[in-house]
Amino acid sequence: MTNAPRPMGGHPGGRGGISASQEKPKNKKATIKRIWHYISKYKLALWIVMFLVIASSALTVYAPYYLGQIVDNYIIPRDLDGTITQLLYLGAIFIAISIFTWLQILLMIRISMRTIQKVRQDLFEHFQVLPMSFYNRHSTGDLMSRVTNDVDNLNTALSQSIVQMISSLLTIIGTAAAMFYISWKLALVSFIIIPAMFYFSKAIIKRSGKNYAARQKDLGAMNGHIQENITGAEIVTLFGQEQNKVEAFNQLNKTYKQSALKAEITSGLLGPSNNFLNNIGLALVIGAGAILTLSGGATVGIIASFTTYTRQFFRPINQISNLLNTLQSAIAGAERVFEVLDEKSEFLDDQEKKPLEKIDGFIQFNDVSFSYDGQKQILNHISLQAKAGEMIAIVGTTGSGKTTIINILSRFYTSNSGEILINGQPITTFKIGDVRKRISVVLQDSYLFSGTVADNIRFGRPEATDEEVVAAAKLACAHKFITYLPQKYDTPIVSSGSNLSQGQRQLIAIARAVLEDADLLILDEATSSVDTRTEVYIQEGLKALMKGRTSFVIAHRLKTIEAADQILVLDAGQIIERGTHSELMMQNGFYAELQSQNNKH
Amino acid sequence: MAGVRYLLTYLKPYIVITILAPLLMVVEVITDLLQPTIMQYIIDDGIANDDFNTVLNYTFLMLGVAVIGLIGGLGCIYLSSKVGLNLATDVRADLYEVSSYFSARRRNEVGTGKLVTILTSDIEMVQRALMMTLRIFVRGPLMFIGAIIIVWLTARELFPILLIIVPILIILIALFTMYSGKIFGKVQRALDAVNTKLSENLAGIQVIKAFHRLKEQIIQFTGLNATLTKHNQNANILIGFLGPLSMFIINMGIIAALWLGAIKIDTGTMQIGVILAFINYLNIIMGGLMMSMMVLMQIARALPSATRIKDVLLTEDDLKENGGLIKPIEGDIEFKNINFAYHDHGENVLENITLHIKKGQTIGFIGMTGSGKSTLLNLIPRLYDAQQGEILIDGEKIERYDVNYLRSQIAIAPQKATLFTGTIASNLKFGNEQAKEAQMVKALNQASAWNFVSQYDQQLQFKLTQNGGNLSGGQKQRIAMARAFIRNANILILDDTTSAVDTISEKIIQQQIAEDFIDKTVIIVSSKVSSIQNADQIAVFEDGKIIAIGTHEQLLLSSVAYRETFELQQQNGGLFT
Repeated sequence: MTNAPRPMGGHPGGRGGISASQEKPKNKKATIKRIWHYISKYKLALWIVMFLVIASSALTVYAPYYLGQIVDNYIIPRDLDGTITQLLYLGAIFIAISIFTWLQILLMIRISMRTIQKVRQDLFEHFQVLPMSFYNRHSTGDLMSRVTNDVDNLNTALSQSIVQMISSLLTIIGTAAAMFYISWKLALVSFIIIPAMFYFSKAIIKRSGKNYAARQKDLGAMNGHIQENITGAEIVTLFGQEQNKVEAFNQLNKTYKQSALKAEITSGLLGPSNNFLNNIGLALVIGAGAILTLSGGATVGIIASFTTYTRQFFRPINQISNLLNTLQSAIAGAERVFEVLDEKSEFLDDQEKKPLEKIDGFIQFNDVSFSYDGQKQILNHISLQAKAGEMIAIVGTTGSGKTTIINILSRFYTSNSGEILINGQPITTFKIGDVRKRISVVLQDSYLFSGTVADNIRFGRPEATDEEVVAAAKLACAHKFITYLPQKYDTPIVSSGSNLSQGQRQLIAIARAVLEDADLLILDEATSSVDTRTEVYIQEGLKALMKGRTSFVIAHRLKTIEAADQILVLDAGQIIERGTHSELMMQNGFYAELQSQNNKH
Repeated sequence: MAGVRYLLTYLKPYIVITILAPLLMVVEVITDLLQPTIMQYIIDDGIANDDFNTVLNYTFLMLGVAVIGLIGGLGCIYLSSKVGLNLATDVRADLYEVSSYFSARRRNEVGTGKLVTILTSDIEMVQRALMMTLRIFVRGPLMFIGAIIIVWLTARELFPILLIIVPILIILIALFTMYSGKIFGKVQRALDAVNTKLSENLAGIQVIKAFHRLKEQIIQFTGLNATLTKHNQNANILIGFLGPLSMFIINMGIIAALWLGAIKIDTGTMQIGVILAFINYLNIIMGGLMMSMMVLMQIARALPSATRIKDVLLTEDDLKENGGLIKPIEGDIEFKNINFAYHDHGENVLENITLHIKKGQTIGFIGMTGSGKSTLLNLIPRLYDAQQGEILIDGEKIERYDVNYLRSQIAIAPQKATLFTGTIASNLKFGNEQAKEAQMVKALNQASAWNFVSQYDQQLQFKLTQNGGNLSGGQKQRIAMARAFIRNANILILDDTTSAVDTISEKIIQQQIAEDFIDKTVIIVSSKVSSIQNADQIAVFEDGKIIAIGTHEQLLLSSVAYRETFELQQQNGGLFT
């Protein structure tokens, strides 16, 4: 096997060989069992690989012995014809080794690639069905690294390390056996070097592991400084802090240099020291072999075999500790992958649930309570009724639970107690997907996907015609700015919409919801980044859309809310006031206070 | 290549060890290469002549040579690590310094993201490539060439075998390297597509759920995943083929050597030890070639990094003039016919701006996002220079002042509240290095920040994480304002600094500014009329122009845009932000 770069992209911090920290899998056995479950589909191929590995290892061990035999029995006695016949056999053995090795690599790559494809696909599909609560607990970066780094490690282990491990072990055992068979005295001489080899490798790996961890820490500190200060360079300039920052950086840079030097040197020791021990081993074997030959205990052919054997013997020994590390981190990675796959899908018992054709518009909350973490209560005994076609506004300070109400209504979360009725039946008795399809939501954060502007507006209804897309954009006041974009509706959205302003993204998100044309409309701060005058136009458009449709609106600009059929004032997860704008003003409570404060300046 | 040449000048201070490192590697390689030849002597001189002493002497020679090799190897590792890290550290220090003093225009041209990448991963790449070069790149070719020379000297009869095998191996490896570059490019693109899809799905999962479009996403991903698997499999199979194939070629060389050798021994022109040594050299040649290929690949990847580094290091500063005038600034600011574009042939972001802000006045800027308010502010501390027109401060052209002095006379709180790792105190010291605790508390009070800072156990010594991550948006804005207040400069600029601050705190801050900074020139940018309506004058911005200017009352009468905004905000307000 060559040491050529692996195709699956790289780990930025990783250095060939020694890594900073060794992660240990928690439940090795169970994880290996599950990996086996994935690859057991290819049982036949795996048996063939097994056979090929054993065959090629056996031949690899046999070839040097055979070579020695040829030297002693044919070349030195000057039997030219015999030599040539024997050489043809040896050639056949070499060809067989190459073909067997190649076949085993080919098969193993196919198996591992298919397996990895399946694991990746399973992960992606599982991501789609995991509930929002899962995403609250895990960062995107963490999940990304499970699909990239962890799956990648598994790939390396499957396609290379396992076979290498087996063949290394077989080669070591076989070579040792062959050496003993040929000359136990010489074999013992070669083995003298092994304890030293193990001791040195282990000591170096241990030390450099520690040094690498220190280096990594200093590198992190330095890169953190770079990240922060280059991004905040404008402030540094404005306050004339360049000199101070350069000095601080130089300090970090120096610290890093020291620890990196230590790490580089210790890990670099492995090469020369192994090379040295190999050479010593070779010298001892040849010297001892020659002395034995003189006393009749060995032959030149035996020395020839042994020079190859010692090389064959030491190389896998040098490799094995590396392979063990790779396998270990692959298992730890697989464990993290399975951890995700073990999370419960939110569609688990969706099969038995009723389909939902249409929401008739009457929505009822009965005593709904909710907590994200089971400790801090976010919603306390919320009860409300929305009649068909009504507009319900929810107001309240940050953290009062406005968005949570909407999250429960759109089935992102399920209430802990109480129930929500749609069409007179608990919302949890309908298929989740059906409920979501019948509800249009414009979320606080208007996320856009790569693709064109039109693709994004069509997101909820891919079959919509161009005319419908334009109509939806017009209603959301997005048409005007879209026509100013370089390729209008075909303008590509780059990296989640960074080529648009926050306000423009919101307008597209509104158009997207408009086009979905669902029975229930939910707007969560949908126009927070839109300037005052555009917002008024959108309001006009939305008014038409809301006609005959039940809608829930969260907004911080109170004007939006005044026209609502019901206004719910939320505080610390409880509805403290409810009524129309004029009713609430009459009550002269919290809402009225908000309004008057608002008009003060 | 120009990038590499430039970076090589950084090796000057370390020239001795830079040359010594590969020389020591040469020592190691030579000792490695000597081993099979010594073995050959043991067999052909010692065993063949039944000479025990010769065998023993040569064996000790072999051991001694191994020790010398070890010394060479260790020395090379030590020195090459030193060279690589010294170079990287020096380059990094220069890069950091250069980019610290970049003008805002240059920084935008390069891009902060790219700058960070250059300072972190590009340098790392160069460092690694340099160390690899000093260690292995010497070793690989040297082993290869050395082995060939030794075979020529000691086993010339077998040399024809090399003439066949070596070109085949070189061509093979060259072809593989070329083809694998292409195929790995495909893998990388497929991988990027998969990762993009994935990260998008993770970031936008709520939208996908809200519209229940998981089926479409899965179908799209299945396609990308299959493409990736296909390319990846091809690449892996290609690479996997190289090992057995080159092994096969080397093994055929061994057969040929034995065959040819048997004939020569038969005729008495060669001894057996030669053949055995030759077989060893074949393996060395192969190893050397493989090693060279790997280092070449590493160097090829470092080339673009070196060029990027050079480009940054050689970027010239573009600040037009730095007059060096140092004179306390009173705060009278005058803009005359300013035109400005961020790119030389780009669209004008400011057009024909003329505005006089008198010493001690408070002025409000209002207008939609992108109307040019912040851009105009950036011209005062000379973050950018205008293409046309001039700015006078206290009647002097702005270019006449020493630019660092000028900046020290301006207190600015920009739109984005950028804070740094450290304590609250260390962040405030940005504004005034000599600030005492009492001054800090005062500034924090002015920014309505002391009430929350005083709640922390460590108060002023409260530690901020990177970018102030452990503060809320509103808290960050208040600290950033305090940082400007503590400067106590005659010009105070607040660029929409209360967007995330709650209404009550905002009121307090407004009052503090009105009282404490009455004799300073104050510029306040806001999208809310309420924040600026008491200013001495208000400038209304639209599309890079000032379309109206006057007091609140005057503008209500004279400017439609201003009146509309005011009326809408009167009704709507911004309470729950």
